[in-house]
Amino acid sequence: MSESTTQPVQLDIDGLIATLTINRPEARNAMSIEILEGMHSAVDSLSNSETTVLVITGTGRAFCAGMDLKAVLIELSGDASVGKQLLSSLAELTLKIRNLHQVTVASVNGAAIGGGCGLTCVCDVTISHADAKLGFPEVDLGICPAVIAPWVVRKLGPGVARRAMLMGGVMSGRDGFDIGLVDYLSETRDELDELTESIAQRLSTGGPKALSATKKLLNTIDGSQNDELVRKGAEISATVLATPEAQAALKARLK
Amino acid sequence: MKDSMVTVSFEDQIAIVSLNRPDKRNAMLPSMLTELNQVLIDCSAQTQAIALLGEGKTFCAGFDLKVCAQDPSGKIMSELLSGLSTVVRTMRSLEIPVVLGVHGAAVAGGCAMLGGADIVLADQSCKLGYPVVKIGVSPAVSAAFMMASIQAGPVRTRLLDTKLVSAEEAYQIGLVHELVDNAESVRSRTIQIASNLANKPGSAISATKAWLNEIVSPMTDNAQIGLDVSLSLTGSHEEQERLSSLWG
Repeated sequence: MSESTTQPVQLDIDGLIATLTINRPEARNAMSIEILEGMHSAVDSLSNSETTVLVITGTGRAFCAGMDLKAVLIELSGDASVGKQLLSSLAELTLKIRNLHQVTVASVNGAAIGGGCGLTCVCDVTISHADAKLGFPEVDLGICPAVIAPWVVRKLGPGVARRAMLMGGVMSGRDGFDIGLVDYLSETRDELDELTESIAQRLSTGGPKALSATKKLLNTIDGSQNDELVRKGAEISATVLATPEAQAALKARLK
Repeated sequence: MKDSMVTVSFEDQIAIVSLNRPDKRNAMLPSMLTELNQVLIDCSAQTQAIALLGEGKTFCAGFDLKVCAQDPSGKIMSELLSGLSTVVRTMRSLEIPVVLGVHGAAVAGGCAMLGGADIVLADQSCKLGYPVVKIGVSPAVSAAFMMASIQAGPVRTRLLDTKLVSAEEAYQIGLVHELVDNAESVRSRTIQIASNLANKPGSAISATKAWLNEIVSPMTDNAQIGLDVSLSLTGSHEEQERLSSLWG
């Protein structure tokens, strides 16, 4: 056990249910290159798996705090290409997750911020608790959530997504439930695992062909197969990220 | 500017734009829409956000139907439809966010303006809707932007059913994003949100708004078709008969 828990991304299979755990609690599970690569290989390994449900969650107090801000601060990393690389990797990861034959479930144990919240919107079902923190504070940091915007628009509908992404800030799990960001809500963090387990079990009882055919149809209807839209979103996010305004705002935040 | 049907004032980094025909419940005339469109464009060059409001007891009762009823040619109705379509498209295409605060009533053309706004507030007692088919007018002009705001099911119901809905119902379907306790508070809360947006990094806001517009462009690209459908009925026998029976 001690060996597996040191992996930055952990994949456990239990019967028909796979669980991907982002395991970088000291950085609130922020998406670094290493985390994203770990998620890519975990997701890749599921394409031939007979599992029918994938649960994504995080170790510790956060689900995923979004992009690793230290990595994208050019002054700190000394490398302007890291931001672009991260965003492009995130874009491809979201496309892979959306196209999985498994029903995907985000079990939001704590903060799901920016790209981390975008990740929940790619999933088919989101479960959280009343006190979790979710949201898209990108604009507050001078950056642009373009890479995840197509998924947020599909999840929330364009009007509510517009409000959430332009207003920035974060909201409680309960408020997320009210606007459709969260589909199932437990009152407390302590009850979340049990709720997730019961929903994952229920989902896993579906016929594998029926589930994957339904997912594919929904992806066709809602425009999810427009890969270029997500890739273009990553480019827009990268362009804004590299501006002096964004870099100055990030630097101020990290102080 | 004293007699203007659209007033504008500046506060910090925002523009406060108001429909100003309170004795007619801010009913729209072609000249009002032309003026509003120009004001919005001018403001976007000078400020970081716009708060859009209505003076008097109601936000906007829609087109001035009394004027339309006196024009059998349907020319004024056509100008109103085109003007409304232009205003909504302008609101959406501006680089800066538009926060719309409605109170009392946002009906027909007044409700159509919600489709162009980035953030919409309404007071709890506000009534909203598109009761236009009963006067022989097609709300097709509003359809594309409604589809780009809320789910398709509620769009259909709201455009085809003449019933007005409460602010609470409008909030439930996502047409309104925030409810305000009373009409008097709509102005201050709208200004507060616009100021909040104006203080965020401007290029991040404009890039995000532009990208959201692009994502929904498959829907909003139909705006012209919708306008054409609405225009095709102007001056028709059905429309004139219904308008004059109400206002003639």
